[in-house]
Amino acid sequence: MNTMPTKRLTLIGGIVVLAALVYAAPLVAHHAFGAEFDRDAPIRLAGKVVKLEWVNPHSWIHLEVVSDDGTTVVWMVEGGTPNVLLRRGLRRDCLTYGTEIIVDGYQTKDHSLKRANGRDVTFADGTKIFLGSSGTGAPDDAERLRERRARGRC
Amino acid sequence: MEFLNRSSLARIGCVALAVGLASPALAQTQGDATQAWVLPRTPDGHPDLQGNWTNATMTLIERPPGYERALTSEQVAALEGDRAAFIEIHSADSDPDREAPPVGGVSWGDSLDDEASVLYDQTSALYDAASGGTGGYNIFYIDPGDRVAVWDGEPRSSLVVDPPDGRIPPLSPEGEKARSELEAQQAQFGDFDNPENRPLAERCLLSFGSNAGPPMIPNYFYNNNYTIVQTADHVMIMTEMVHDARIIRLGERTPLPAHIRPWLGDSWGRWEGDTLVVETTNLPRKQLNGNRNFAGGSDHFKVTERFTRVDEHTINYEFTVDDPAFYSSPWTAQVPFKALPDLVYEYACHEANYAMSNVLIGARAQERGAAEEGRVPR
Repeated sequence: MNTMPTKRLTLIGGIVVLAALVYAAPLVAHHAFGAEFDRDAPIRLAGKVVKLEWVNPHSWIHLEVVSDDGTTVVWMVEGGTPNVLLRRGLRRDCLTYGTEIIVDGYQTKDHSLKRANGRDVTFADGTKIFLGSSGTGAPDDAERLRERRARGRC
Repeated sequence: MEFLNRSSLARIGCVALAVGLASPALAQTQGDATQAWVLPRTPDGHPDLQGNWTNATMTLIERPPGYERALTSEQVAALEGDRAAFIEIHSADSDPDREAPPVGGVSWGDSLDDEASVLYDQTSALYDAASGGTGGYNIFYIDPGDRVAVWDGEPRSSLVVDPPDGRIPPLSPEGEKARSELEAQQAQFGDFDNPENRPLAERCLLSFGSNAGPPMIPNYFYNNNYTIVQTADHVMIMTEMVHDARIIRLGERTPLPAHIRPWLGDSWGRWEGDTLVVETTNLPRKQLNGNRNFAGGSDHFKVTERFTRVDEHTINYEFTVDDPAFYSSPWTAQVPFKALPDLVYEYACHEANYAMSNVLIGARAQERGAAEEGRVPR
């Protein structure tokens, strides 16, 4: 076991990552989020799903947001590759049109586009749309999945 | 925001440790199975490497300081436990009444406390670099591998095994000069001037320059999957990201002329006993320099790969990079490929998938905004 104090490990970890990313920084993301989205333009959206694009390299969720004045605007939210979701059991009924969702993220650099990254996409009650595995094979993984499926969630 | 405390880390660490402690029995079972396992062969008598495979792992290409090549069982339990904790915390429910995230960006590590380990820190830093402070997207879209790489029973702290320090050797003087010239050349243009200046992955040409290779190195994000098909005189490796098929010809090498440099290079293979040995040259500079896992290479870049099927679930994949015009010495990495008990899906990556236009339109919008305010655009 590495016996170095945790905080020292943390510091070293930062150095390691910096070294590893010297040549990688502009290349790391498939579509570099830092190039696409504006970290100074955060947004929270709540609305109904009106369209889904489960396509590579990125999925897009379209949701209709009702403004305070009653007008509606359709926002597009970028998610990851659908291939991972397919392997995790993505089905047609996992996220149906009309479902109320909440999204927080950052707008595209051109704010007029009405697009954002899906930093956190959840149902209206705050639960995640899908569930990643804890990776441990822990018993509560299966239990949580059973519980979600009993509520009609994927 | 969710907060990972010491007790939850310990709990998850215990689960991982329990899995780790259970491993001798598991290894014994696998050992028995290995004895019964017979290397499958194709009709021409060579080892059958066909099927779906993954090289996803949390073991990074280079070794972090303070580690030996082999990880102890305690280190494995801690590292895999931390990865599990990372996934766990980012899968938890969110506050439905949450506000927009803060101006200036967020870090994946914001939800962590000081108990986070080196891996935890590396993971959040990697994702922060990818997201540029915008937080990326939910962790359920990410599948980076949640186990350390194990080679012939030895858990590894790095994929690189030679040089013995587990680090890619420094550039040679010639390599340093080539890199400086490349940087000077790139500095003449803006990153967002046109699509050609964007990374290959962003243009749907190659995945991070690393998945298809050669050498084939995991991207530490997702879709690190491969399909291998072989005949008596060809081996095809299809890489899920971004749907790249490499055709390896077997037999006496008749290499391409030096000036012909296709994506994925010019691969020729031969059997040495039960090991498939593949030599690849003619890789385009743009692919080498676009690789996120190593510094690049020269026109003399040569990679030699060795594929050995060691059990039902594993191909030992070893590669050596030899490029004296770029690196101060050759370097070798060992990457276990594990059987993927699942499908490999088509990855029809299309350049018009909003993101490229978002990037370029966004850059123009920022330039206009800067011009109106009389400042230099970011």
